Amino acid sequence: MTTASKTDKLKRFKNLEFILGVLLVGGIGLAVIFSDWLFPGGGTVLDLSLRLTPPLAEPGYPLGTDPLGRDVLARVVVGGKISLKVGVYSALGAVVIGIIMGLVSGYYGGFLDIIVMRFADVQLALPFILLAITFIAVIGGGLTNMIILLIISQWVQYARLVRGSVLSLRDREFILSAKAIGVKDIRILFQHLLPNLMGPVIVLMTLNVANNILLESSLTFLGLGVDPVIPSWGGMLAEGRTYLQTAWWVSVFPGLAILLTVLGLNLLGDWLRDTLDPTGRTSL
Amino acid sequence: MKKTQTLLSRVVAGTALSAALYASAQAGSLTVASPQDPGSWDPIDTFLVNWASVATNVYDGLTYRGPDLKLVPGLATQWEEFDDGRHIRFTLREGVTFHNGEAFNAEAVKFTFDRLLGEEGAQGPQRSNYTAIENVEVIDDYTVDFHLSEPDPVLLTKLAGYGAMIVPPEYITEYGDDHFNTHPMGTGPFKVVEYNPRENVQLEAYEGHWGGAPKLDKVTYRFIAEPATAVAELQAGRVDIVIPPTIPIGMIKTINNHDGTSVVSVPSPTVEALRFNTQSGITTDERVRKALIMAVDRQAIIDSILAGEGEMIASFQSAQSFGNDPEMEPIPYDPQRARQLLDEAGVEPGTRVQIDVRGNDATFGEVAQVVASYLQGVGITASIQPYETNVLLNDIIPAGRTGEMFQQKWGGWTFDFDNTAYLMYHTGERWNPYDSDAKLDEMLDAQRSITDQDEREDLLQAIARYTQDRALEMPLYSINALYGVRDRVKNFEPAPDNRMRLTDVDVAD
Amino acid sequence: MAKFLLYRILQAIFVVIAVTLIVSFAIRLTGDPAVMLAQGAGSITEADLEKIREALGLNQSFLAQYLDFLRGLLVGDFGRSFMGGTPVSDLIGRALPATLALAFASLFISIAVSIPLGIKAAVSRGKWPDQMIRIFSLIGLSFPNFWLAIMLVLLFSITFNLLPPSGMEGFTSFIMPAATMGIILTATNVRLVRTTMLDTLRSQYIMVARAKGLSNTVVLYKHALRNCSIPLITYFGLQFGGLLGGIVVVERVFNWPGLGTLAFEAVAARDYPVLQGVITVLSLLIISINLIVDIAYGLVDPRVRKE
Repeated sequence: MTTASKTDKLKRFKNLEFILGVLLVGGIGLAVIFSDWLFPGGGTVLDLSLRLTPPLAEPGYPLGTDPLGRDVLARVVVGGKISLKVGVYSALGAVVIGIIMGLVSGYYGGFLDIIVMRFADVQLALPFILLAITFIAVIGGGLTNMIILLIISQWVQYARLVRGSVLSLRDREFILSAKAIGVKDIRILFQHLLPNLMGPVIVLMTLNVANNILLESSLTFLGLGVDPVIPSWGGMLAEGRTYLQTAWWVSVFPGLAILLTVLGLNLLGDWLRDTLDPTGRTSL
Repeated sequence: MKKTQTLLSRVVAGTALSAALYASAQAGSLTVASPQDPGSWDPIDTFLVNWASVATNVYDGLTYRGPDLKLVPGLATQWEEFDDGRHIRFTLREGVTFHNGEAFNAEAVKFTFDRLLGEEGAQGPQRSNYTAIENVEVIDDYTVDFHLSEPDPVLLTKLAGYGAMIVPPEYITEYGDDHFNTHPMGTGPFKVVEYNPRENVQLEAYEGHWGGAPKLDKVTYRFIAEPATAVAELQAGRVDIVIPPTIPIGMIKTINNHDGTSVVSVPSPTVEALRFNTQSGITTDERVRKALIMAVDRQAIIDSILAGEGEMIASFQSAQSFGNDPEMEPIPYDPQRARQLLDEAGVEPGTRVQIDVRGNDATFGEVAQVVASYLQGVGITASIQPYETNVLLNDIIPAGRTGEMFQQKWGGWTFDFDNTAYLMYHTGERWNPYDSDAKLDEMLDAQRSITDQDEREDLLQAIARYTQDRALEMPLYSINALYGVRDRVKNFEPAPDNRMRLTDVDVAD
Repeated sequence: MAKFLLYRILQAIFVVIAVTLIVSFAIRLTGDPAVMLAQGAGSITEADLEKIREALGLNQSFLAQYLDFLRGLLVGDFGRSFMGGTPVSDLIGRALPATLALAFASLFISIAVSIPLGIKAAVSRGKWPDQMIRIFSLIGLSFPNFWLAIMLVLLFSITFNLLPPSGMEGFTSFIMPAATMGIILTATNVRLVRTTMLDTLRSQYIMVARAKGLSNTVVLYKHALRNCSIPLITYFGLQFGGLLGGIVVVERVFNWPGLGTLAFEAVAARDYPVLQGVITVLSLLIISINLIVDIAYGLVDPRVRKE
């Protein structure tokens, strides 16, 4: 039995999903992290005489230039910063809030539970994009607002997930005995319960980062994004849309960047789910 | 159940319908893509230019202004002014009928303006443009007198459009305003036969039009908001004309490269400027404002970003505008001098300014980025803050919460600098949140009571020069109206103000 | 059981009230529709604006406006659009069927693709067809949907001139929008079919069927699939709600005459009644689907009732 599970584990690492996922996320992540060093100009240097140069036509511009004569390659790499920031920060924020809400409502139950769960119901009944459009019209676009909006729309998923797990663990022997010997609630919550439910949370989070990157690009595409001087994938797609038939490279490369990043995260998430959450609680 | 049936019948009938839309390929019918459904076709309800592009075909005004921008007789054959312009007598065209056969006469004119200036009109935005009219008096069946409380030099122009379109009294009295909103009726060359809110409106030729029957049998306006979608429809041959403001500059090449479609452009009264916050930040200093203007090569922006589809402006009006002085030169592009001025004003290199723009304006987004890069050239770091258009227009600008510079796009449909200048520079106007200049106020008020047009033109030109001296904004350009047109459309003349009458337009195969 | 039902329904009512309250409130923060309507008008005065507001019913307190809206909601009257005065129920009556049709079509495409792929993946579990199917379905999930939509239009409408680029006119116009939405759902659905199928295949009754010598196809598509249809249908039902919310962007690109396009224009025009109506109808749909699923589970599984 033990040898079987060992080879199983080994097999998992040889999994195609895992390999592809790590390559994509790792490669893009590294490029983005070192983007300031790779492209000191930040992709904002503008040269109107080089507008819309096709890929490989001009030395120094392997992916061509955009309508303002800026280096598409530099913008794609630097632009990843915004997308990854939005994706990661909003997922982290949602995880923290979701875990706390989920732990509290699952462990204590009662009135607190009812309040949190009704919040969750309301949240799930609201069509997110429509709300996002409305709210951004009020509070304006920009990085912070976008992140806050995504957090608000997503903490519920974690709260539900965590609450469900807590409910199933609450009456287990190890928790009951901890309680019996007088361990404080806060320790039970964070030392005993939390580690037992991190698997599904991490899975959900990976998938969430992927989804947030897509949402960010949608919102930017709808004209609700950040300062256009700062490159971002969604912004580049929106800008390049009018040139799609005459200068495909302006929007195809950022589009590919989104596709590959999100794909990498999804592959990793899918693989993690098989590894950390075999019961499939996060599959819905 | 009923709804499911409608849907089902729609899907089933769909093939027939799409055949009908493809039938725009048959002679006699034309399909137009318009970016917005005004929701109501009642002239007093709206100010949207896309209302006008359809309604110009459905209604007539007392006067008419075509693509050449000359005022000619419409439903009035002639007019005479008395009492320094406080009293105008119109002689009306005889034998004109509305689409339902109702006769057009002096009563219809009186009804139209009583409605516009009364309770019904007060609920809409149009009334405020016609408040100079005190009352309309019926002299006989085909003569009416307009009595004005003060002379209004642009009234005759305003009678050619929008709220002043003549509506049928009996029809409205019988069916009510709500019915009229969606089943409009006028004396124009086309009548509305079907209106599907947010989808399309279908027009048919009105054979009995006083100006002669139109050449087309049928015109369908489809509402398509997304520029890329409208252009795709044009390329696929399912739309014959895409009207402004839809086509972004970046898509001109796409349309021209495609077989059977091309872009037709015409200089329009629409102007763009970056206006300055004269109350806070470095832009309170006139020298700084001038320096910022000098730092930007506006001609280069027009040549590259606008692909030549625009013209430099010296003040905030286009070349066709009454009050534009062709002799007046724009402040030149001179980064050297700009740096000097900034130095004199004690502005440190690296000082930051913020430019507020409309977030969904693709072309201007590029323009703003180029401006920012020119400013960088004189040591000013500009950031661009995109806002949702309506937030910028209704909140940020009127409340005076903009950055140092903000985008102002202005339609100027009266082609008269009065309208623009008064709203932009007069103390207390909503488009003028920052500045108050007694001398400017005085000039603006003075020109309104002058009926001698030459004298008024001189004063308007003086106003334009004065705003340039004070560098109240960075005038950028006037921009052309862009129409995407299929080759099968004949005799199409693009209208600078988007109000195109399709009487003479024809289609060929 | 009656108590459980009552409790669930009360909960749903609470959610409806909370949702409508949030929506009505948020919309009213977005700007003054009177100013919007007056845009481009000459020197409009505050008094003029006040008259327009009065005509739109905006001079009343928020609470009065909200209660008015709730009263209307009970009889299916959502008020009139600020733009042109068309009754909102008329607009929604036209747009809702279009959105539902597109949602059904997307779901249909996705299910039609997911079932054979999911079954194939389950049968070849761990082998390369399984991995390939999962990776390809994940690629579908990873596309920014608007980008995919634009690319499809470019290919099928402009280059090949096969499909209409926008609008809802007949069968052909459903293909691209439904495919765009469907591709995104497919990744999740393939995984779901695969998991459910794996569980079923292990069950004794399938072993028996196999032992009886029934052909592989018959076992898979007739016996096994029927057995997992209940969890699948439940999940597809739940997915429908999420689908409605996500359809906005795709509707926009394809100029689909549905709720998304309607809502989008309403936000731009600050058309409170329309936006309020659309979000409320969408939320009601989602809430009722959830309620039905909940109640159905409550009937089947008594444990749920206690919660």
